[in-house]
Order: sequence, then structure tokens, then C-alpha cells
Amino acid sequence: MATGSNDMPDHRKRNTFTSYVAPMAGDVRATADTNEWCLPSDLRDVHLAKPRLLAGEQIVASAPAYMYSPIAPMEGSSGSGNSSGSGTVTGIGNSNNGQSNNSNNSNGSNSMGRSRSSHKEATFGLLSVTNFKLAFVPLHGRATLSAPLASDLYQENAYLGRNEVTLNNIDQIYTIAEQGRAASALQAARMASTSSRRKKLEPAKQHNINGRIVALHIICKNFRLLKFAFQQQDSKLSGASDYGKLIASALARFAYPMRHDLSFAYAYREPYYSTLVGVSMYGSKNDWARELIRCGASEWQVISASAVPQLQNRLQAGKYQLPPHFVIPKCCEVERFLQLSFAFCDSRAAFWVYSYGSSAASLVRLAELQPASQQDTKMENIMLELVRKCDERKQLKLIQLTDQLPSIQDVQRAYQKLRRLCTPETPEKFMLQDDKYLGLLEKTNWLLYVSLCLRHASEAAATLRASITCVLQESNGRDLCCVISSLTQLLLDPHFRTIDGFQSLVQKEWVALEHPFQRRLGHVYVSTGEQAPDSEQSPVFLLYLDCVWQLLQQFPDEFEFSQTYLTTLWDACFMPIFDTFQFDSQAQRTRAVNEGRLVLRPVWDWGEQFSDKDKMFFSNPLYQRQRGDLVATQNHRRSLAVGGHKLLASAAGGGGVGPGAGAATGTASPSRYTINPQLFATQSSVPQDRYLQPAHRILDLSVWDQCYYRWLPVLDIRGGGQPQVDLFHRLLLSNIAKVQRCLELQNFEELPDAYYDALGEQRPSQQQQQQQEEPVEYVDGVERRRKSMPGTGAGTPGSSANGLNVVNGGPLQLSTLSSFFPFGNPIAGDAPHELYDILSNSSELLLDTSSILDKSSIV
Amino acid sequence: MDATTSLADKLASKTASSNSLDSSSKSSSLGSKHGAENGILRDTPFAYLEGEEDQDQKNDVTYVCPYRGPVFGALTITNYRLYFRSLPLRDQEPPVVVDVPLGVIARVEKIGGATSRGENSYGIEIFCKDMRNLRFAHKQQNHSRRTVFEKLQANAFPLSYSGKLFAFAHAAAAQPPAAIAAVSAGWDGWAVYEPLAELRRLGVPNDMWRATKLNESYGICDSYPAVWAVPKAASDDFLRRVAQFRSRCRLPVLSWMNPRTQATITRCSQPLVGVSGKRNADDETYLSYIMEANAQSDKLTIMDARPSANAIANKAKGGGYESEDAYKNVEINFLDIHNIHVMRESLRKVKEACYPTTDDSKWQTAIDSTLWLKHIRCILAGAVRIVDKVETMSTSVVVHCSDGWDRTAQLTALSMLLLDPHYRTVRGFEVLIEKEWLSFGHKFQQRIGHGDNKHSDADRSPVFLQFIDSVWQVSQQFVNAFEFNEHFLITIADHLYSCRFGTFLCNTEAERVAEDLKHKTISLWTHINSSLDQYLNPLFPSFTHGPEPVLRPIASVRAVRLWKGLYCRWNPGLCAPQHGCQRTRELLSKQDQLFKHVNELRLKLNNRSNNMQTTTRLASPMH
Repeated sequence: MATGSNDMPDHRKRNTFTSYVAPMAGDVRATADTNEWCLPSDLRDVHLAKPRLLAGEQIVASAPAYMYSPIAPMEGSSGSGNSSGSGTVTGIGNSNNGQSNNSNNSNGSNSMGRSRSSHKEATFGLLSVTNFKLAFVPLHGRATLSAPLASDLYQENAYLGRNEVTLNNIDQIYTIAEQGRAASALQAARMASTSSRRKKLEPAKQHNINGRIVALHIICKNFRLLKFAFQQQDSKLSGASDYGKLIASALARFAYPMRHDLSFAYAYREPYYSTLVGVSMYGSKNDWARELIRCGASEWQVISASAVPQLQNRLQAGKYQLPPHFVIPKCCEVERFLQLSFAFCDSRAAFWVYSYGSSAASLVRLAELQPASQQDTKMENIMLELVRKCDERKQLKLIQLTDQLPSIQDVQRAYQKLRRLCTPETPEKFMLQDDKYLGLLEKTNWLLYVSLCLRHASEAAATLRASITCVLQESNGRDLCCVISSLTQLLLDPHFRTIDGFQSLVQKEWVALEHPFQRRLGHVYVSTGEQAPDSEQSPVFLLYLDCVWQLLQQFPDEFEFSQTYLTTLWDACFMPIFDTFQFDSQAQRTRAVNEGRLVLRPVWDWGEQFSDKDKMFFSNPLYQRQRGDLVATQNHRRSLAVGGHKLLASAAGGGGVGPGAGAATGTASPSRYTINPQLFATQSSVPQDRYLQPAHRILDLSVWDQCYYRWLPVLDIRGGGQPQVDLFHRLLLSNIAKVQRCLELQNFEELPDAYYDALGEQRPSQQQQQQQEEPVEYVDGVERRRKSMPGTGAGTPGSSANGLNVVNGGPLQLSTLSSFFPFGNPIAGDAPHELYDILSNSSELLLDTSSILDKSSIV
Repeated sequence: MDATTSLADKLASKTASSNSLDSSSKSSSLGSKHGAENGILRDTPFAYLEGEEDQDQKNDVTYVCPYRGPVFGALTITNYRLYFRSLPLRDQEPPVVVDVPLGVIARVEKIGGATSRGENSYGIEIFCKDMRNLRFAHKQQNHSRRTVFEKLQANAFPLSYSGKLFAFAHAAAAQPPAAIAAVSAGWDGWAVYEPLAELRRLGVPNDMWRATKLNESYGICDSYPAVWAVPKAASDDFLRRVAQFRSRCRLPVLSWMNPRTQATITRCSQPLVGVSGKRNADDETYLSYIMEANAQSDKLTIMDARPSANAIANKAKGGGYESEDAYKNVEINFLDIHNIHVMRESLRKVKEACYPTTDDSKWQTAIDSTLWLKHIRCILAGAVRIVDKVETMSTSVVVHCSDGWDRTAQLTALSMLLLDPHYRTVRGFEVLIEKEWLSFGHKFQQRIGHGDNKHSDADRSPVFLQFIDSVWQVSQQFVNAFEFNEHFLITIADHLYSCRFGTFLCNTEAERVAEDLKHKTISLWTHINSSLDQYLNPLFPSFTHGPEPVLRPIASVRAVRLWKGLYCRWNPGLCAPQHGCQRTRELLSKQDQLFKHVNELRLKLNNRSNNMQTTTRLASPMH
């Protein structure tokens, strides 16, 4: 029905959209009086509120709608945002009290709180479904605030607006049908949250949508809950138009594609020019060879499928499910290996992934035997024996993950329960969950699974540290194997804790060795008879990201990336434009390129999606780059770093001498395109004193609030949380960078404000006049942090301590920063400019590989 | 500033995180280290405090450690502490040390009798107020148990054995120069809180409020402080009459005022309404004075901390709450915080879940069923509502519960902390405790039961601990809003029981004056202020203290956490690794180094240009 355009009125045909069903201004006015919510008088602007479209993107359906937030108002107005946000929290608490105590005395403030939030509960605008996304464009009336300045501070995706989600991201759609005689859309939507007329729109089913749909609840895979309500219309001109049904049926058809080539990825044909440096894609034999060298694994060999005649033979190749490149024991002939691999699920017989230590104990991934041959473990024994031969001390430990870790179905169930806790539809539901929160959290099992993964990864890491080869075995070797294997390497190898290293690790363990992303992330809905269509769906990758986040909490200065990076990575799983997380196997990817003319675009090229500003939020201000971490591929970054490393070079003496770091890295890791065979004999270049030993009991873990709670404004601590701490450290780094630059240039005009503040000196506004002013009480300024007790003056305690208050030019107004920053609601204030300054200055230092700030230089 | 300081800090905070009590004197940690190295048990394995004297020592006692199993060693009992140290068996392993101030002990019991057979089944079990139990096994034959038991009883519960608390002996033995030094250095804890100075900071006296010493001899209300701030419109006689209508004469008195808007927080006890619904014209007028003292609002909000059912039930006992009919322009809210008995029971369950062992797979349910976090949430939610009224609506708030010394103190102190950044500094927080808790008569003696063996006394309750926990929760949500760190809060919680300082002794200001605590004991704040470094949060102060100094924490169980650093600290495996703020300190000192360097250069530059009147460029003498 959405595409039927025969009876379209003229005014709609003006639009280039295939089917545009925004109402005429007159249509709405006729009914506006009867509704609780009056449509804005400038409704004709709905026509103008069209979403921004990408090349190849088409609108499938559009309708005017109200978007509303589940609990607290989605608003970014300055000042009042803070108070009304927490007002809602207390309001909720109050209503709960009211229930239990039946007190009518407490109504005063309660109703007040409600009335304050109700008029901001929803935003009116145009809701559109395209072949790429679900987009809501608010109408910029008086009430709605566009605040482009403030939103500048928040993560902005080049392809998606704040009120947009990709169709890929949509997991569940609930339709709320009209019930009785609801007076208005809003009322119906409110009623709907408890009524039985809330119905799930099942993917891959015939959809008979009966009755009028007044509201839609859309639950996204990234924990976002979107709620839309639709105006009822009985227009004399066009008859009854059910906008809800229009959107619902469009979503039912487009959000649950049955084939991958229906994905927007194939429609988006913009060329891609790679600017990617430093990430090993493991798409070539060289990448694997380099990793073998880096780890000092001399008993293993890389096999490329293209060089194996058997795998090129069309008749034969179909029997194997091998990736294009894989690493097997040197002592094993390729033919022998192929023979053996036949016995294992998905042809996954022992693949090498990593070696550690001077004896190069190896980490190996192995699938279980095919169900048919499970009686006969001979093949498995032979395979393990071959692996054992590669170990210097001929020792081997087999960790069977299937028995000890959750199945992918368990992970999916845990995820769904957890998501239910994070997407309450109403304040009442929120409070109900809150009362039993920890018990409910335990019932999800999510943290239990995180704990198990960390425990087994720790076990594997300890095995490798004890110079014993470790084999991870799992049914198909492509799911929890990826989690444990990647975590083990993160624990052992500081290289993987850098951004480039982490990305290389995901490429190696997940992409090159073929975690079935397409099925696990539900990019395609296949209904295979009896099986539920989503039984293959399971956020194994999210489980991994959560484990990494837990490590980041326990070792805040060991990772180059921030939690924002990890959260963004989960979001990126649902961007079909990037191929990284779109396919089950390399073969599938190649087919898509050849047959579907798909443009490959790695997600790691973050500049494709984000501005420089947003990319800066990916780095962790507490990270301490070590001298040993320097990798040649990071050379490109060094051009960004202005101050530090030159200073070091000149301090090291000689000035003109070529940077010693360059020479060191030349031997440590070979350049990208050549492999020096002489290096094959070298030992592992992985530092062995920087492994992590995480705590992994449930009570040591916490809930990843940024990723899971960021769409719940009630949980947003304004002016609190991790972002404030990060900002504090960034300010410190920025100050250090500025001073270093001043020292280097011997020009003291651009010293940071904190410097003058520490001195108790006025920042010289006119350089000449202030020259005479004597810098006073400097020593005292430094010591002040210890000595000074904030005086009795209220309001400005310790304003000069630490020298971190920005005195001149007004204090930084960052107090309303969201605790979900750079997600969450926009903030007020005019700080972006200063924040940008801090960001760029601190990043300069963070990216500086000359290790001017490493531990040794300070202690 | 330099690397050595930060290293010392690190060391200090490391030992501190395990137990603030023994790290409080640096020499004690040094002493124990020395002993470990030599492998000999020295006569004085710890540093004795001033006034601390040996009472008993036994060299053949087994400490039944719940984590490392039974360890054999020596037990020392002084008039301040119980100290056990295992005899080193293997060289590598550090000795097991138990160092508990006797004030922490709630109950001592003998276990096993003459017929006990099993190993380590005959001895003493000690139940502590700080979430741990200790078991010592004695050999039956050498009768060492009896004296240990008796000495413990006598020294842990001196008030039940007509003795005196250690704080007095400690102060009496303290060298006078130390006390004088403290005063001259300005860190004398007894001088931290000056009621009139604090009122002046808030802008009192002003047009609407006055300070009065009406209660100087504690004649009107024996549990209130000597100095009050009250509405100017109320005369002394009038105040006397109002006091009669409030439970225990605790009439509404100013706690805090917003100097900008004049919106106030006042505190009191419940009105004596009773079943018949008595009214009192003076009390009604008095509340209207409080309302009128704030020109910004024509309403007054009463926050009754109790659940409304409890408030109603109190009518039967002659108490109750203000009816909105009788009091004009008043709205009453119930904050649903439960009474001291519920809280005591809740904390008992927390102890059960945390000590000695935990079941990881049932951990969350176990914590959930204690309801501790829900109670904390309620207190936070109540405080946030008060903050919203005072800050956003500029409405004055009156807070009370039944007697106005438990839940009321929690709410007023916490909301003041959220409203006024001064209270988030070390000095300010000390003032806050002195003012809202000590001077307004939170009954510390009763709630803690210092030196008294009635361990099942129904008046005991962790009300103050709950406040410290709430402050910690806020400090977790606003990591850089506080000048002090977690260690500061733990230290306060520890010395709440230790009886080493006079601060938390007695129930009321009147009692403290009568006991002359100011002269006969040392204040905890003296101790803290004299070694401030280890209590400072390196992340403070920051740019958050700009235009919006008001904190609004999230009152949801999703946002509050169990304070493992306090409740679970005895379990060596339970404390997550402390990464601390090492990196922050490094960056801070790096920044300071650079500032210093720049300053030197600029000075040189200035001198040169002054001397030579030319603009010769400096060579680069960096590093």
C-alpha cells in the first residue's frame, strides 16, 4: 500500500519521493480541535522536514508523527534541562511512594513534576522510512530547540542524525493498536504500554495488521527504544489514513530483509578511497606472515587457499569452508591438513592465531569433530599431536569451551533480558525494575557470561605464560573461540591494546577467521522451516566488547582507546555501508563484490563516519604510551605531533640526529609491504612483562552504562561520571602540551590559563604593559595544593587550587556535560570552542609517540 | 610535588586502603615491616599510641582466619587495641596481622568448653561493628583464655565496667607541645566549627534571620546546640512556646540558607499532634515566619522523612505530622525512609552477604535482598527532592522525622552537601558533621554504643554510616566534586567506633560540654588535618565548580553501588585492585614541573630585557 501512487493527490506528486504521504495543511486543521494535542499551526512545513538522503537512498514511506522519550523528556533546552531531568526521577520515586502508602498528601509536587514534563514529552515531526534508515525530522517550532551549537559537542555520524537509526539496527517492532475510543494518539499510546494490544511485528511472517495503529515501539539492537505516536485522521478529503500502519508495514518489509543483497550496502555505490594505515587486515598472506614473525612462531606456516590446487578445483572446493589464509603446523602437509579438516565442523582444524614468550607457546583455535565422526576421535588426536609438535616443550593444554561457556542461544537470551532492563517503556516500569534491579540483573546472566569469558581468557593467558601451547575448542570454532582468543591476546600483548592493534585483532580473530557476523547480528532474516528465524542471532561480539570494557575499567591506563570507542564499535555493527561486520565469511564477501558490485569500505577508516573531533573521543587520556609500543606504522601520526618528540630528540642531544625511535622500530616490525626473510628466525618481539591479570568474579564487574543506559535520560548524571574525569585529564594534557610548545618556541604568549592561575597572576592581555608585572609568589602557587584550605567564602571553594580553574575568559561551563558524553542529551553553554581546544591539544600529546610522558620520564 | 612525594602518597594510600586504622601513624607500618624482615617477634610489633598500655599478652594463640586458615602467633591486648601477629612459618609469606581497636568490638564470646574436642574449637569469638568477626583458639590446658576474655571485656566495654574510654587516656598522655602545635598550625579539630562564623558564611544575621543564644545553658532543648538561627519575627518567649509543641522541644531551627535566594532548610522534630489532631497557633505562625523569611516563594514544603504510614502511626504516641488544613500554604511530602531498626537489620544482612565469604553466583541477589541499596536510594532521592525545592523552586523546606536526629540529620546534611560546594571540601565536610550531626544531637553514644556491652541494644543503628555511604555514592557519581577521597570517608567510619578521639563521643552538645571533651580528648579532625595529603582527591578541584555548584545525583538502584571498599575490605580477595590516581598525580606533577620551568625562564627573560634593554633571544637551556 505504501507504494500505490495512483490516487495520490497532486500536491504529493510534486515530491520526488516514491511515496510521500504527508498530509495537506488543511487536512489536519480540520481535525485539530478535537485532539488533545494540537498540531503546530505551521504544519505545512512537514513537507519541508524531509530527511537528508544519501546517494542511492530512497524514501519508502513518510508520515507525520510524534516522537517521545520513554522516561524523561528528550530536550536540550538550556538550564531547565538539568532540573526537569532530575525532577522526573524524584517524581517517579514519589509516585511509587504513593502506591505503597496510599498517601494523598504527596500529590502536590507529584502533579507538578508531571505537568512540567508532559508538554515536552513529545516532539512533532516527520517520520520516514527509507531503504537505509528510520528517520525522524522534528519540525522546528517554538518548542523544539535545534541547538546546533550544543549538538556540536556530541558524536555526530556523517550518515545518521541524532533521531535516526539504520534499519539494520532495528530488532523488534511493537505495534499498538487502537483500543476503544482513545481520545487522542497520546492517550492511546499511554494506554498501550500496559494493554494487550501491544503486538510484536514478527519478521518473515505475513503481516495482517488489523485495526488502526496508534503507536509504534521500536527496540534497537544498540539498546535504544524509540516510541512514536500517530495522529488519528479522519480526513474528509482523503478518507481515513492510518499513518501508523503505513510506517509499520514499510518497516516490516524493509527492516527484515530476507536476502543480504537487499541491504542498503548494495545501493550505496559511492567510491571508497582508503586512508587507512596501521591496521593489519589479515587479508593477505603477508599480514599473517608478519604476525608469525612478530610472535616468533617459527614452527608454523601460512597457507593461502589460492595456492592450494585442491581448493581451486571447483568440484573439491565446495566441501571445504576454509578462509582464504590460515596458519597450520609446519610439520603438516597441506593435503594432510585438508584431509583432517574434513572431520571437523566448518573445516576448522587447528588454526594458529598467536604465540607468546621466548618459547613461543601458541594459541590455537579448533572446532569440534563433525557430528558424524564424533565417535572416532582419531582425527582429533592426530591434529592435536601435530600441534603439540610445534611446541618447544611439546606441551599442550586443551580448553573445551563448549562445556564451560554459554551457547550462542544463551548469550542471545541474556542479551534480550538485559536489554529489557535497559529499555523500560514507562516510568512505572522503570521503577518496578529498579526495586528488584540487582536480582533482575542476575537473572539476565549477562554478567555471569562476561565473568566466564574473562575467567577462561585468564586461564588461557596463564597457560601461554607458562610456556604451554593452548588449544581452544568450540563446536564450530567461530563464536566464543573468537571471544576467548581475542581476550587472551589482549591480556598478554600491549600491542593489541592500542587502537591499531585492537582493530588488527578484530580483523584477525573475527573477520579473517570468519565469525558469522551476518547471522549473529541479524542482518538477514532467514526462515528455515521449523527453526525460529532468529535462532542464529546472538550478540557474541557485544559480549566480547563488554569484556574489553570490563578490562578498561580495571586497567584504565593500559588501553589507548576509550569506552566511547567500544560503544561506537557496537553501533557500527549496524552500519551496512561498512562491510567489516556484514558477512559470515570471506567467500561471501568476495561474492558480494563480484556479483553484487558491493563497494568494500572498512569500518576502521573512522574518518568516513566521524569528524576529527569525534575521533578524538576514541582515545583514552589516561593511556601511557610506552617506548616499546612504537610501531612503524604509526609514523603517519607523528607528523601530527608538533611539540613533544622534537623536544625529546633535541634533548637527547645532537638535534640533527635522526630519531632513534625510527631505527628501533625498523627492526621491531617490518614495514608494511615487504618481509625480510632474515627476520624469520627472530624471537618474539612481544614484551613479556606487561600482561594483565583481571579480576573476573561477578562482583568485580559492573554494567556498561555508557553503552546500555545512554538512551535513558533519567540515568544521565549531569556534570558527573567518567566524562568529567576524562576531561580533567585532557585539560592537564592540554596544559602540558601548550607549555611544552611555549618552551620549544621560546615564546610565552600562549601559556595556558592554568599557568597564570597557579601563579596567582593576571593573564597579560596587553603583552607590553604587563611585562613589568612581577611574577609573584610562584613557589607558593605550586605548594598551594597542599597548603591552601578553601576559605570561608561560599561558592568558590578552592578556586585556585591545582591551577586548573580557568580564570580569565570565564570559567569553562562544562558542568552540564552528560555522563553518557559524547552520547546522551546535548548540553547547554558556549563551551564547545574551549572543549575543542582542550581536545586537540591533549590529543597531540596522546598521539605523540616520543614517550615524553611515559613513566620513566616522570619518575 | 616531586616524584618522591607522589611515591610516598602512593604507599600511604596503598596501606590505607586496607585499613585506615593502622596506617594512621606511619611508624606503625614501618614497625611491622621491620619485624617481618627479621623474622623475630619483637616486643612492640606496632607503634603504641600515647596513653596506650599493655594489658595482656599471650604467645600461643591461634587466629582462625577465614581466608588463610588457622595461624599460630601472639596476641597482645592493650587498653586501645587487640593485636595479633602470626609467627612466620615460611619466609616468603607475610605474617597475618590483626589490629583492631577495642572500640570496634560489639561482643566477645567464649566458644567451646572443657569437653570440646576438635582442633581450634576452644577459644574466643569477637563480633565487630565494622563488618567482621574474629575467632581465636586457645589451648585448654594453659588457661590463657580466661585472662584474655576478661581483659577484652574490661577494655572494650569500659563503661560497663566503670572505666573510661581510651580517648581520655590518649589525650591526657599526649604531649602538650603537639596540641599547641596543632592549634598554632590551624588544624585544631575542635576549632573547625564555629557556629556563628558558619552562620555568617551563610549570611546570618540578616533582615529575616537572627542568631540567638537562647539555649546557651541547654535549658529549652537539651539535645539542641547553644546557638540557633531563627526567624527574626519570632521572639524568645515565642520560641519557648513553639518548642512545647515539638517532640523533645526540638523546634524548627535553621540548617542552611541559600545566600542568593534566601531559600532555607530548617530542621525540627515531629509536631505533637496526637490522635485528636491538636493544633498549636504558635507553631503554625512560626512556620509561616519561616515561609515569609523567603521572599521568593509563597509556599513552604515540609519533608517528613518517614513513610506516611509510620507518620500516621506516630499519632497514637502523641506525635504525627502537620496537616495541610491547619498550616496555611504548606505542603507535606513523605520521603519513605524507614526507621533505625529497619536499617540495622539491613546492614546485618549486608554483613551476612559480605563476610566472611561470598557466593559469587548469588552475589547480586544477596545484595538485592539486603535492601541496603534501596534504602540508600531513598535517602538520595529525598535529598535530591529537597535540593530541587530549594534550588529550582526557591522554596524553603522544613525537614523532620520523629525526633529529628536520625533521618532528619541524614537528609539535611546530604542536601546541604549537594547544594553547597563548601561542604565538599575537607574543612567544610568536618563543619557539616560537627553542625548537622554533632551539635544537633544525633545520639552517637546510643547509636554506636561506645564502650558498652549491650550489643543487642535496640537503640543501636548505622544511621551515620548510612550517611557516609550516601556521601560516597555521590562522590562516585561526581568523581571530581569532592576535595576528599574515599580514604577520608573510611577513616571517619573507622574512628566512629575506635574511641580514640573525642569527636563521636556522647549524645548531645550539652553532654560534650559537661564532659569537657574539648579539653580532655583530641578531635578526629586534628588527626586528619595534620596529615591532609592522604585524604585529598587529586581530581579535585576542577572546572565543574563554575556556575553550577549544585549536584543532583541519580537516585536509582541502577546508579548506586555497594561500597565494597568499606563493607568487603576484610576479605583479601574481594577488594578489586586499586589503580588509584597514579596517572593523575604524574600528570599533575609534570604540569607543575613545566610551570616551574617556564617561570624560571620568564624571570630570566625579564631580567635580561630589563638589564640590557635589548631583545636578545635566549639560548635554549631546557632540561
